[in-house]
Amino acid sequence: MEQLVELFTQLNTFDLIQVIFWGIAGGISFYFSIGNARVWTSIAIGFFLIFLGQAYAINPFTDYYRLAAFHYIIGTVAIMLITHGFLEYYVFCKTFEISGQKLFVYLATVAILTASGLFLYVNPAPGPNTIRNIKMIENAIWVFLSVMNLEIIRKIYDSIRDSTISKAFIAFAIVFLCIFLWKGSELYLQVFQWDKDWQDILAVMSDDSSDIDLYPLRVHFSEVVSRYAGLASGLSVGGTFIYLYRLLK
Amino acid sequence: MFLLPKGNPLFENLAATKLKLPEVMTKLSSGAFTGYASFVFQSSTTILVFEAGKLVSVLLEEQNGGRQTGFEALSALAELMVTSNSGAMNVFKLSKDLTMCIHALLQGEILYKAQELKLIDIKTLLEKIKDDQMNGCLRIYTEDRSAMIFYKDGNPLGFFHDGSHDIETSSTESQKIAGMPGAKIDLFSTQGVEELMGIDLLEVANIQKIWETSVARHQLDTDKIQKERAERDKKSISLKLSDLEDQLRGIVIEYVGKVGRGIVDKEISSLGGNACIIDDAGSTKLLNAIERAAKLLISGTNTKLLIEKLTALITAAKSEL
Repeated sequence: MEQLVELFTQLNTFDLIQVIFWGIAGGISFYFSIGNARVWTSIAIGFFLIFLGQAYAINPFTDYYRLAAFHYIIGTVAIMLITHGFLEYYVFCKTFEISGQKLFVYLATVAILTASGLFLYVNPAPGPNTIRNIKMIENAIWVFLSVMNLEIIRKIYDSIRDSTISKAFIAFAIVFLCIFLWKGSELYLQVFQWDKDWQDILAVMSDDSSDIDLYPLRVHFSEVVSRYAGLASGLSVGGTFIYLYRLLK
Repeated sequence: MFLLPKGNPLFENLAATKLKLPEVMTKLSSGAFTGYASFVFQSSTTILVFEAGKLVSVLLEEQNGGRQTGFEALSALAELMVTSNSGAMNVFKLSKDLTMCIHALLQGEILYKAQELKLIDIKTLLEKIKDDQMNGCLRIYTEDRSAMIFYKDGNPLGFFHDGSHDIETSSTESQKIAGMPGAKIDLFSTQGVEELMGIDLLEVANIQKIWETSVARHQLDTDKIQKERAERDKKSISLKLSDLEDQLRGIVIEYVGKVGRGIVDKEISSLGGNACIIDDAGSTKLLNAIERAAKLLISGTNTKLLIEKLTALITAAKSEL
């Protein structure tokens, strides 16, 4: 308990608010996945997993490196599931084919996460550098798939422009724009080694120096974008699912 | 058609369309029937004259006055029996002599035809009939009345006129008609009974073959008509189904947008065509598929309304088709 209180006192307010928003969005999307068609299951479960991915900020056990790495892997699985869901919706718009079962999506997600956990378990415990690498891979995948999802959403919207649900896809486009900015700015900082994790590694584990002081504006701007876009992502996801729920009620 | 004496009626008003000509012929022939059988249809009347079971003459007279005899008349009769919806057969037994006179009336040699009575010497004519020992029939008629005198060997067998059913012995009516203005006569003569016995159309014409040909032709015509009707019905149903499909598509588009067109087309195609709309199992599958797709595009409330509207349309169409 003491550990948890200490963790909360150390938490950045923004991070906490972001996690809370993602928590609300995750809850709404998971609830949405239960009562709706299978195509929505992947999307909703994916957004729910983002919350689990982000929850490392409030996890008192992230000092265990394997657990920290697992959070980032969950984040990666999340965007892959979301993309799979949008692809399925796009296929439906073009071929009007609806196939498969919800249960399969749940089981496949659990199987992938279990396999990822096993992967971490059988390998040496990751160090801070490895965790940072995993985080960078996660961000790269998020950036790439966000752009891809924006294009898929554009095509879906084009196909169902005059349907009730079409406006929800505009909302999803806003979500992915926010996510792109959030993850893109983080990736930018990581690629140029201006991120906090790298600075911590330098301070504790390396004699290398950083050029971060040469670009204070860029770094600051990227950090601000990452914070606010992250916050906006959580907010927009929650709002989008509430809007979607009302549209489909 | 002439009115003929009825003699001794054996059958009257039998449904001609339920009879088979070869069976009728066999029955009359094997029973050594003497007299005539008449087949009365809406468009024509046919008289078959038998002498001791031998078919001595056949005459078919149409309403418009057209006449056919012999093989042609038999073929036409068979055709009528097979194709007509209604018709009656009567069989009247007559004496051999009277039958001979009926034959004369129907197919005998015409000595006078529509001869105005005032232009000829009737006394001389009657004497000639007697002197020549003529067998035949003298018909005296005006526009609205007629009478017949049947002769055997020049002697009158009896008198027959409109309104009577049988041969009479009194010549009063005949004389009355003969005295009317504009009266005309026809005189028909024929061979004697013994000579007539030498004729049998049943030996010449293959009644069974005629009948079978008529039945086969009728069957062919019926099949053709049925085929045409079936094609017409099929075309009509196809048009109605197409219309129904358009209506169904229109409703789905109204609720889910233009993407509804693709949904309906795809589902109907995967269920084997638009006939599935009026098929119980097919329509259930179609509605389920549309509902499943609609849930991805519109609200639950609208999906429910959509399905209700489609169900009503399909139910109405099923009862109509």
